[in-house]
Amino acid sequence: MLADLKGASVEVWQHRELLEQLTKRDIKLRYKQAAMGFAWAIFMPCLIVLSGLIIRFAMAQISGQALHSRDIANIAIKGVGWSFFVGALGFATSSLIGNSNLVTKIYFPREVLPLSSVAAQGFDTSIGFLTLIVILPFLGVRLHPSFVWVPLLLVLLVLFTTGVSMFLSCANLFFRDVKYIVQVVLMFGIFFTPIFFEPAMLGPRGAIYATINPLTGILEGLRIAVVEGRDLMHPITGMVKGVERQIWNPWELVYSAVCAVSILLGSTLMFRRLQPLFAEYV
Amino acid sequence: MSDVAIRMDAVWKKFHRGERHDSLRDLIPAAARRLLKGPQPAGELGKDDFWALRDVSFEVKRGDALGIIGHNGAGKSTLLKILTRLLRPTLGSYATQGRIGALIEVTAGFHPDLTGRENIYLNGSIIGMKKADIARRFDAIVDFSGIGEFIDTPVKRYSSGMNARLGFSVAAHLEPEVLIVDEVLSVGDYTFQGKCIRWMQNLLASGTTVIFVSHNMDSVLSLCNSALMLDQGRVAAKGDLKKVIGEYYKSGGRYRPELLAEPRARTVDFAAPSGGDLLVEPGERVSFTHVLTALADVEIGPGFFINRGEKAVVDTTYARMRGHPLRLKAGETVQVEWSLAFNLPAGVYEVGYHIGNIAGGYHEYQSRACIVTVGDDPRVKGDSYVALRLETQRVDDPELQVTASRAGVLP
Repeated sequence: MLADLKGASVEVWQHRELLEQLTKRDIKLRYKQAAMGFAWAIFMPCLIVLSGLIIRFAMAQISGQALHSRDIANIAIKGVGWSFFVGALGFATSSLIGNSNLVTKIYFPREVLPLSSVAAQGFDTSIGFLTLIVILPFLGVRLHPSFVWVPLLLVLLVLFTTGVSMFLSCANLFFRDVKYIVQVVLMFGIFFTPIFFEPAMLGPRGAIYATINPLTGILEGLRIAVVEGRDLMHPITGMVKGVERQIWNPWELVYSAVCAVSILLGSTLMFRRLQPLFAEYV
Repeated sequence: MSDVAIRMDAVWKKFHRGERHDSLRDLIPAAARRLLKGPQPAGELGKDDFWALRDVSFEVKRGDALGIIGHNGAGKSTLLKILTRLLRPTLGSYATQGRIGALIEVTAGFHPDLTGRENIYLNGSIIGMKKADIARRFDAIVDFSGIGEFIDTPVKRYSSGMNARLGFSVAAHLEPEVLIVDEVLSVGDYTFQGKCIRWMQNLLASGTTVIFVSHNMDSVLSLCNSALMLDQGRVAAKGDLKKVIGEYYKSGGRYRPELLAEPRARTVDFAAPSGGDLLVEPGERVSFTHVLTALADVEIGPGFFINRGEKAVVDTTYARMRGHPLRLKAGETVQVEWSLAFNLPAGVYEVGYHIGNIAGGYHEYQSRACIVTVGDDPRVKGDSYVALRLETQRVDDPELQVTASRAGVLP
């Protein structure tokens, strides 16, 4: 098992230039002959934030509370993270099938195909994050020491996304209906991940259910560290509808980290074991 | 380090005919069935399974060139895919030493929307070149391909020939220790093909091990020093180049003419003087004797022909040569002798005969009666061997010398 993991990482490292070239290809192809150009990179995050605002506006109308600029910041930071996850999965799932001419003709570690999809999406998303850095100060976000958590959270997001991407690309090679399942799940996944709302809004029991999703810890962590400016080391409580509720538990982050790493290791292992069959089944 | 670059040891490869379950919906019943029956042993064939390779073993020494030949579906591509790590053998093992480069569908890594330049880098990395190596050889690659000024044009606007030339040029600059080539030397025009052949010969001369798969026996003959013939996944022949190529020609079934239901003449014997297959020098004169006997009163035109691959080199009949058919009485036997000088370039030729009637039907037809291998004359190149003679003579006539110097031939 360790040998497989080592083999995978050594081979991918040896082919890092190929990974770079394939990523460049994916990025170039996204912007070549494209009407929107780089606006495309922030198109999806903008739509997510917009739809989130509509939902929050409706919620505010019912509860008779005002909508704060901070709410926009909350949705924006989680929305950009979510758009990375969705975008990477969308491209990675079909990365092996879409490159079947390569998979059946030339040998190279096939891991680089889903990895390059994730990396290309990473490029798009970093444009989104850069835009966010410009916008957030206008939404009342100030620099906090808690920003030191951001790199760790982003790394976890990338690891988790990579793990799921490798699993899905491999699954889609063997079973073509995986792509459609992924499409449907991602379409509604935004409601199963706290993007438009905070878990605490679901009530004490609902909040616990929300944290089953490994993305919850990562995205909520981002929101609390950046927008609320609170340290993630300690449990945090806040007022929801006049009642004091726990809004952050450090163990959520540990849980997300364990999930991210084990999914990545598991899918790498699976990918490695099944790789010799790719050319036959694709 | 041993001097064996590639070794295959009793390799078997099983394939499944027809559809596989490729949606989850089909998988679940199939998995349940498998659970009940237990897994299938690797050495057994299930329903709709077949062996694409059976017990294939061979060795290629460092610096050797092995030609792999066989008719369509013989297992050549499967064998290459195992060597290039695309497929894993069902049974058996193989080992390769040294960096492997494959010239199989050289444009597989191209993306139509990217320019030639971008595709050189992309395709180069895909086949395993380092970025620095590509940059260093970039000019050589472009030069070899002859793409020139179109290098910054998206390859979707290239002609298919340009595409193939560029792909080949990238792959040609990989500098592998073991090169696997599959039918790609036929890309581009005549000039480019010549370039490719010279490039292959240089590689061979520099000690690269080559595995060459082709249907073109002439290329195999000129590039390889041993051959392996596959037939239905088995090694049908291996070793000596000419013997294996001869086997290939004998085994193939190509032109099947319509034979008369009741033949009225038949061949007693058809042979070259030495009997069996021949090895001749270019230009050498050989006679073939055709002894045939009439079973009834008949008018026939015994035919003689030589094929090289799919092409007819010589095709004639008694009737065409003489202007009238050969009239035979029942029971009469006649000996026809065809004599010709093999003024043909080096290669493998099939000699055949037939006994035809005037209406175009055949009493008998045999397309591979004898295999003739014409040797190489290294002094002369070209499509035919015309028994060229060279004569030189010193010229003392002063007037001729003046004319020559005016023409700029002499100083």
